[in-house]
Amino acid sequence: MKNQRNGLVYSAPITLWLTLLFVAPTLIVIIYSFLKKGIYGGVEWIFSIDGYNFFKSSYFLKVVWNTVEISVVVTFLTVLIAIPVALYIATSKYKNFLLFLIIIPFWTNFLIRIYSWISLLGNNGLLNNLLIKFGLEPHQFIYNKFAVILVSIYAYLPYAILPLYSAIEKFDFAIIDAARDLGASKMKAYMKTFLPNIKPGIITATLFTFIPALGSYAIPKLVGGNDSQMLGNVIARELTITRDWPKAAAISTILTIITVIFIIVLSKYDKDHKGGKV
Amino acid sequence: MNKKKFSMNIFILTLVFLYLPLVVLIVQSFNSGKGVSWDGFSLKWYDELFNHSARLWTSFKYSILIAVTSSIISTAIGTLGAISLQWYSFKHKKYLQVISYLPLVLPDIIMGVSLLILFTSIKFKLGLFSIFLAHTTFNIPFVLFIVLSRLHDFDYSIVEAAYDLGATEKETLTKVVLPNLMPGIISGLLMSITLSLDDFVITFFVAGPGSSTLPLHIYSMIKFGVSPVINALSVILIAGTIALAMSTKKIQKYMVS
Amino acid sequence: MKKSIIFILMLLTLIGCGKKEDKDELYLFNWSDYIPDEVIIDFEDETGIKVIADYYSSNEEMYAKIKAGGDGYDITVPSTDYAEIMMKQGMLEKIDRSKISNLKELNKDIGSKISFDKDHDYVIPYSVGATGIAVNTKYVKDFDRSFDIYNRKDLKGKMTLLDDMREVMSSALTIAGHSPESSDPQDLEDAKEIILKWKENILKFDSESFGKGFSNGEYLVVHGYYENIVAHMTDEQADNMVFFIPEEGAQMYIDSMVILKGSKNIENAHKFINYIYRPEVYVKIIDYLETPSVNIGANKLRETTPVYDIKDLKDAYLMKDLGEALAPQSEVWNEILTQ
Repeated sequence: MKNQRNGLVYSAPITLWLTLLFVAPTLIVIIYSFLKKGIYGGVEWIFSIDGYNFFKSSYFLKVVWNTVEISVVVTFLTVLIAIPVALYIATSKYKNFLLFLIIIPFWTNFLIRIYSWISLLGNNGLLNNLLIKFGLEPHQFIYNKFAVILVSIYAYLPYAILPLYSAIEKFDFAIIDAARDLGASKMKAYMKTFLPNIKPGIITATLFTFIPALGSYAIPKLVGGNDSQMLGNVIARELTITRDWPKAAAISTILTIITVIFIIVLSKYDKDHKGGKV
Repeated sequence: MNKKKFSMNIFILTLVFLYLPLVVLIVQSFNSGKGVSWDGFSLKWYDELFNHSARLWTSFKYSILIAVTSSIISTAIGTLGAISLQWYSFKHKKYLQVISYLPLVLPDIIMGVSLLILFTSIKFKLGLFSIFLAHTTFNIPFVLFIVLSRLHDFDYSIVEAAYDLGATEKETLTKVVLPNLMPGIISGLLMSITLSLDDFVITFFVAGPGSSTLPLHIYSMIKFGVSPVINALSVILIAGTIALAMSTKKIQKYMVS
Repeated sequence: MKKSIIFILMLLTLIGCGKKEDKDELYLFNWSDYIPDEVIIDFEDETGIKVIADYYSSNEEMYAKIKAGGDGYDITVPSTDYAEIMMKQGMLEKIDRSKISNLKELNKDIGSKISFDKDHDYVIPYSVGATGIAVNTKYVKDFDRSFDIYNRKDLKGKMTLLDDMREVMSSALTIAGHSPESSDPQDLEDAKEIILKWKENILKFDSESFGKGFSNGEYLVVHGYYENIVAHMTDEQADNMVFFIPEEGAQMYIDSMVILKGSKNIENAHKFINYIYRPEVYVKIIDYLETPSVNIGANKLRETTPVYDIKDLKDAYLMKDLGEALAPQSEVWNEILTQ
């Protein structure tokens, strides 16, 4: 029988590391959200819930809506594209090479790639110049929601492909053949055997895309416009421009709590469907 | 096989989508002009890259150093953590489950500032090491989840068989469990390197004076125009990683041994 | 095998950030591309002091980092509003003016604008300039040299304003006839009306790529700083550009060198500041930035002519700390951005 004491050994490094370097800063954020803001940034050690007044602002609801809407669309599309891509890689002879091929673009600097997109999508950019050449109307492809969604999908694809690849690679495709032999159509075979089995992968891919998307701020700042202000931008502005640290901390705390609830719900769904872990 | 062709087509389209900005990049690196329009072929940016860009290379070196070290450590810690969550019970299991996905949740600007506050309050000196600590921290949950999703369908009977045949814990781990987890581990490793190489916000806050990484360096150039030297560097990086990918088989063997 | 790799790499990491040999050093936290490399290298050669520089592109990020505890820097270069804030918070070291003999070269017209530190005990001006508007004259022929250009429907979708609350709000408040430091709700509403009208015609608020966008024709009218715009342009393009300081609502800035409290190289910091103030050294900086000079001696030696002069700045507003007015103005700015 496996030695249960080894559980302590395996879990010690991660528990210690995260407690010191993650739980501690998170506590700082939560504590700061309940303090009074310093006039020049920073905090004064006086209790206050002023930071939590952020939701009274008229623009706040709009920003939350934008953030959720964009994040949901991005996550849905990203995971949708990632599944066949991961499937193809996992069932290929050259899986490791293909995996590298997918990752390589992401090792060139993020900012540089965004600037490339700007020169592609811009009003004076490649795409519009092509449209004009073919006698079509130039279109506004950038500094709006469309650009934020497109570039976000671009940025988050590996976040979805990698976990899906990891899950799919383990799947025994003989099951599909067995199902087909038993008379199931191709579609049914995939729906009933493949998708349920890679569910942990799908859930992970969803989490890896949705959560960073909620907090994203560089993409909306660079390619977004008036219709795509996101929560990350608001937090950054509160922290740096308004210098209201408690407010920034309060928004982050609420964001954290909501996403934690989301994760708990999602993993409960996974457990209920699968009938518990091994 | 209909399904196979479908997924292949999606794969190819995705590849085009992913590489499109890169093509722009590569073409621009040979553009003798600084602007968008083509001014003639030139290797001058490569010349400047190799002869006049000491600061760029330093920040590049730091980025690679931190990416490699933080991803190795975070993969090791994350993999062990995933194993513990999947197969073992221990007192703090519930606690670990909750804190292990939290780093995903916090926006990076908040994480950056709060880590800085933490480091300052314990008088920890900022430098490359503080960046390393930060990067490892945000990498761990990614590795954890990837490996965990792989462990879900792990056929535990082979582990039991190993024990029955008298293997020690260490032998079981290294000869049975890890080799079977390898695709997950490699995915986690790749993910960590990617996250680390690109991180800007957290790094900005926890970097020590003089410890500039590549993203910091590039960001600081934006207002005055990111020199096409960066394009040249990116091309070199792409070429280098493709060469690395070619020798993938060797690497896999190296890691498992 | 794996274990030993990890061990070696950890060692390398530790080594990489371990104690540096006790060299003579100076840590500079500066705006990107604000000092030509030549100046730094010459300083290093002459004094044997190694200069290690990190960069930022806004006062806010510099301040957030230092406020949260990012120490280790000796000199940083804030604009006047942040210099004032840092001084009030005791974040600066007092400067020993006897060690900066070249300070006599400071143009008193500029120096006197630093009302919160008239004797230059903490704040030494480094550069002066103004925010202006650049117009692509190849496509835009007749225009008023004012913010009114942002009300022009024919230029819709081809202009940008800075993504900077202080800049845009201050200008709008001034044009509405109010104080740029106002926190009065009605004043702010008036400013908001003006900005929303401008917003209809701009493509986006942009503080990073207005220079690049202007030079590649994406934008025909941009709001920003001369140095950033001209850095992207060819000589030919420069002939088709007009950069003006608006008649009403103009903003000027003075960026200054300060020594941070807790600096470990105070001597070296003084040497550096004094070195910068040598006319023959400072002239290299203004020829590089093409801005007006704070240094009288350097101004006589310069080879470039700035597009605008210190005289042109007499009506411009120099940013001060907003104090309590910051929160209401930020709130209005957030509303503007999300509308």
